Amino acid sequence: MEAPATMSAIPAAPAAASRMPTRSLLYLFLPVVVVAILPLLPFVNNYIIAATVRALIFISLGQAWNIVAGIGGQLSLGHSVFLGLGCYTTGILFNRYGVPPWIGGFIAMLLSLAVALVMGSMTLRMRGVFFALATVAVSLALVQLSRHFVDLTGGADGLALKFVGNSLWAMQSRTPAPFLYAALAFVIVYYWITRALLTSSFGLAMQAVRDDEVAAAAAGVAVFRTKLLGFLLSAAMTSLAAVLYLQFYMAIDPEAAFGLSQAIQLQLPALLGGLGTALGPVIGGALMIFLSEVTNWGSTKIGVEGLDILVYGLMLLIVILRAPSGIVGLVFKNAVSGGPR
Amino acid sequence: MTTAALEVKGIARNFGGVVALRDVSFTVGEGEVVGLIGPNGAGKSTLFEIVSGNLSPSAGRISYFGADCTAMPTHLRRRAGMCRTFQKVRLFDSMTVADNIRVAASQCLPPGRALHDEVAAILAQLRLQAQAERRPAELTLADRKRVEIGRAMAGHCRLLMLDESMSGLTHEEAEHLIVEILALNRERGITVIVVEHVLSVLAAMVKRLIVLHNATVVADGTPSQVAHDPVVIEAYLGTKQSALK
Repeated sequence: MEAPATMSAIPAAPAAASRMPTRSLLYLFLPVVVVAILPLLPFVNNYIIAATVRALIFISLGQAWNIVAGIGGQLSLGHSVFLGLGCYTTGILFNRYGVPPWIGGFIAMLLSLAVALVMGSMTLRMRGVFFALATVAVSLALVQLSRHFVDLTGGADGLALKFVGNSLWAMQSRTPAPFLYAALAFVIVYYWITRALLTSSFGLAMQAVRDDEVAAAAAGVAVFRTKLLGFLLSAAMTSLAAVLYLQFYMAIDPEAAFGLSQAIQLQLPALLGGLGTALGPVIGGALMIFLSEVTNWGSTKIGVEGLDILVYGLMLLIVILRAPSGIVGLVFKNAVSGGPR
Repeated sequence: MTTAALEVKGIARNFGGVVALRDVSFTVGEGEVVGLIGPNGAGKSTLFEIVSGNLSPSAGRISYFGADCTAMPTHLRRRAGMCRTFQKVRLFDSMTVADNIRVAASQCLPPGRALHDEVAAILAQLRLQAQAERRPAELTLADRKRVEIGRAMAGHCRLLMLDESMSGLTHEEAEHLIVEILALNRERGITVIVVEHVLSVLAAMVKRLIVLHNATVVADGTPSQVAHDPVVIEAYLGTKQSALK
């Protein structure tokens, strides 16, 4: 077809649109630099570094959930399934067979993909709540299974990673600083994956399915395939980030791995920050861990346990009622999900 | 008549005990602009859903440019160029106008210049350049309908099925849209099937009308023939005079 003369007035193609202006790049580059030099600053101790690592890990996990739920519109309520599979597979392979997490994490990712493929194939063709319920059911089942196979998983007590000292091969360190850089790399890579996805043909198809499945099919989108691929991508990203989670915490138990409270923590970064945006989970994850640290401190002071859960709940209520587009939506008025932010 | 773009043979559809379509057969030639009319409940929308692949027929066969597509999924029909709009406009509300069109074009074209040019050409053809970066909620109904047509034809379109695209529009807006639809037919060689309630709207744009009544085809001919068909007058139009209003 011959292009019209007015072509220059037409908005750029997605690839061009994803190019960021220099000022935006600077805004993103500054926090990266600040986090990177954190261990060098005189007033920063291991506690602050550890809290930052926690924030970065949950930003990565939140970003992974954001892909299936925020961009794809598939409410994976039991997404901790893939966190748990990642942690347990890596941990068991290391403790029992000496398989380093570099390889164990890859195997864990393959296992997560297989589980996601089965779950998705069975439920993603259906409309309604079946997919969400299936993810919850699988996560609850895995809580019980991991409690049951005590020899393999350590049962309700959980699984503690054998500590071999500072080792790059075993991905272990006595101090949290190395994890800071690993977690920062995860955040940067996951952020860019999300940004690239939002402006790619596949990302547009995911958003189309999220907005209207019938219209998406009428536009030529293979709805089931798009939903399944989005789910697989998210599951793989979650289980890879789980490797970092396990190496940092050095232990995992059934509730922390597959539990629903953990699943909610995976969702909070994107919900607080802004669903379907690349920046949302970054802001939301940082806020979540900051609040967690403050409330933990407050809990200790006033002797009330579980204050952090109460604060999470309140935050979630406020966001749902007052800012359904999250903090990003509040700050950038036009940043409804679908924008590259 | 030239090659058949669409051949509907003996299509039937039941919803429980309700017969929505009964032995519906017709052929639409390549490059034709055909109107499909009928009173509420005649089965127009059900037929549209079946032809576009959203519903399976209880019986019958659909051929698209000679190939049987009765069991083909909706998205594959669309990629083969069988495109549609909806009675109630269904756009991707979180996306811009350009992205609404781009998402459909990208299912048929590889990323890059060809995709960009296709989006640009459609925006230009439907006079939507100024709205390209707006979201559907910011548009008038006429523009929303235009975007839906643009999305429907983006990438690859050989058969365009429009479901009451004129409803809710002012007379002037409807006239503009008719001109644009006819231009698509003329310039891109797209075969068009239009579902409408108002015969006068269709009479201005089609040379052939198919009338559905009580779940089956009761007339098939030029607007003038249909308007004078006693079965149609009795079943749907009421009087000859009101038919041509």
